[in-house]
Amino acid sequence: MAAIAPAVADAPIREVQLEALVVMRIIKHSTTAFPTPATGCLVGMDVGAQLQITNCFPFPAAVPEAGSAAANNNPADPYHHADQAALALAAPRAKSNASYAAEMLKFLKEVNVDAQGVGWYMSCSMGNFVSQAFVENQAFYQRATDERTVALVFDVGRSSQGSVHVKAYRLSASFMAALKENKFSAESIQKSNLRYQDILLEIPLRIHNSHLLTTLLHTLPTPPPKAPLDFPAALSELHANPALAANPLAPNLDALDLSIDPFLEKSTDLMLESIEAHITEQNNASYYQRSLAREQAKIKTWQEKRKGENALRAQQKLAPLAEDEWQKLFKLPVEPSRLEAMLVGRQVEQYARQVDGFNAVVTGKMFGVRGNLVLERELA
Amino acid sequence: MAGDPKNYLHLARPLAPAPIATQSSAVTAPVTVTLHPQALFSILDHASRRPADQDRVIGTLLGTRSEDGTEVSISNCYAVPHTETAEQVEVDMDYQKRMLELHLRAAPKEVLVGWYATSGDLNTFSALIQNFYGQQGEGTWPHPAVHLTVGTKAGQDIEANTYISAPIGVTAERAADSCLFIPVPHEIKYDDASKSGLELIAGARDREDRSQFLQTDVEMLERAVEQVLEMLERVSNYVSDVLDEEREPSTALGQFLLNTLSLAPKVNPEDIEKDFNNHIQDVLLVSYLSNTIRTQIDLSNRLVTAALTMGPGDGAAATAGEGGEGKGQREGGGGGRGGRGGRGGRSGQAGRDQGRREEQ
Repeated sequence: MAAIAPAVADAPIREVQLEALVVMRIIKHSTTAFPTPATGCLVGMDVGAQLQITNCFPFPAAVPEAGSAAANNNPADPYHHADQAALALAAPRAKSNASYAAEMLKFLKEVNVDAQGVGWYMSCSMGNFVSQAFVENQAFYQRATDERTVALVFDVGRSSQGSVHVKAYRLSASFMAALKENKFSAESIQKSNLRYQDILLEIPLRIHNSHLLTTLLHTLPTPPPKAPLDFPAALSELHANPALAANPLAPNLDALDLSIDPFLEKSTDLMLESIEAHITEQNNASYYQRSLAREQAKIKTWQEKRKGENALRAQQKLAPLAEDEWQKLFKLPVEPSRLEAMLVGRQVEQYARQVDGFNAVVTGKMFGVRGNLVLERELA
Repeated sequence: MAGDPKNYLHLARPLAPAPIATQSSAVTAPVTVTLHPQALFSILDHASRRPADQDRVIGTLLGTRSEDGTEVSISNCYAVPHTETAEQVEVDMDYQKRMLELHLRAAPKEVLVGWYATSGDLNTFSALIQNFYGQQGEGTWPHPAVHLTVGTKAGQDIEANTYISAPIGVTAERAADSCLFIPVPHEIKYDDASKSGLELIAGARDREDRSQFLQTDVEMLERAVEQVLEMLERVSNYVSDVLDEEREPSTALGQFLLNTLSLAPKVNPEDIEKDFNNHIQDVLLVSYLSNTIRTQIDLSNRLVTAALTMGPGDGAAATAGEGGEGKGQREGGGGGRGGRGGRGGRSGQAGRDQGRREEQ
């Protein structure tokens, strides 16, 4: 399998199929690790245009390497701060975890679990996953020899209200090309016409159960009754019956709860953070512009002076001085990368989309509640 | 039969003579086991992947124990390859140890608590493996090793049983490979997040290919409302049948209906209208603001990258509109950029203040 020539045109991944086991494991890992983000590796198989994820295991937090940051893959990472969240987010691409993952894969292969890494997962809260670390992780996976990998993002904050929010993402080809050059200056973005919407590709997800699991689901919490049931004699019988009192598969009506303010508050807080990041980026960019203009003005005056001197020397029949010494004398400022600005744009779009979705649901519920309560008055 | 809780009798297990007399003796307190759904699913997955010639497969259970050892919570598990013939059984102990190390690195709190097998019968081999897991040093000593069996025969119910063991045997050598398995109570606990995951998974159980797409919030709301409507319809049918004397009335149901209907609140309609309007305004405002912010950031990013050409601007092909505007102000170059950045900054600030004021 390893010797497939890269020229073989694989179908692009169109769908991701998730086993129920993976869903439960990710939920459990993310909720226990909350509020630090939980990261882990996904294993499975790719079948044509569908990527099947059959198992997963969590990563230990990246070990901060003592000493120079130059020893790390990416010197921009805050490895030397022992920041929990940063360490956890850096885990999927940390050198210390490459051997961990390889060993795990080897062991899993012995017990017939698919031993092909197909991506990684992380947990986030209310959609705040678009960051440099996320992009770096996915780029790391997509750069590997086996390029068909996805990033699963499980949203712990939004999943607390009786729903499961998990999405699969890949980096688009254009963005990967730009990342390879690692040049995000204004000209390169202009040339490649890269917008922030193009960074991530979302892939539809489906859940799949095995036969054994389906059998289990049909017998939860008790095997289906063989004869028609009688009515219970009193309500307390229902309460006392443990199978009924704690039925995990009873219709979950948490989705009908009306809770508006906490979601809105959290969303606006996160938006404010994004705005601040955006302002910082803009200030950096304008600072760069100003210093660039200053340097260029200085270069211009120096060039004028040189020209004047050369004219003088030409008059005095002396050799002219070099005109392009300015390249050695003046150092142009380095343009800051625009990657962060693009990521902020994408993040804000994510928040806006979430708020819109929430809007739709909550408006429906509110009209329902109001119609219910106001109608009573009209009848009475 | 359905719904009868099983009754358990705790037998303080007899202990083998401790090899080292000075060490604390093994714990004999009663044990209750809590099983997490992900461990159970993992076991089922493993059972479906077993090699073709094996009837049952085994693996290790990881979890946490309470202080005194009475409550064991199983939260994770992994498979261990083993081979079983009529005369002997082989467990890859090295694999067991190394996997345990790897798992402890990722989750140091989850320790070894026992082992599982995917068929319900207990035989000599189970006893051998049980002793291996319960031994000193590498096993769960002084706590008893929990043995979980999950019946996975196709076509039969999936039954889970948990046991701890006590040594039994006439001589010490016989005791080494026999065990008295004592059943202990267990329950499967679902916390909130797992419940939603379970519901999502259960949504696929009635379909032919056992799979389904993830649902958006609106679809879930629709489904919840449909469920409630269906339940209301069933109840109202029942009530009208009882009134027409076609069905037996039930006191329990009558009690329940009485309790539920008395929950309908009595509120002032003007208050409702006011609250409703306030909340609608909040939601619409946040939605509007977030969309405005998104547009503004998009625009400012585009403006910045639109016409930053110092030479003849030919890169403006894709951004003609902004490019024209940018070229016109190219002379101001840095100053203009700074100004626009400043303006963007200021309006961003104004937007922020407004957002903050509305929040209060």
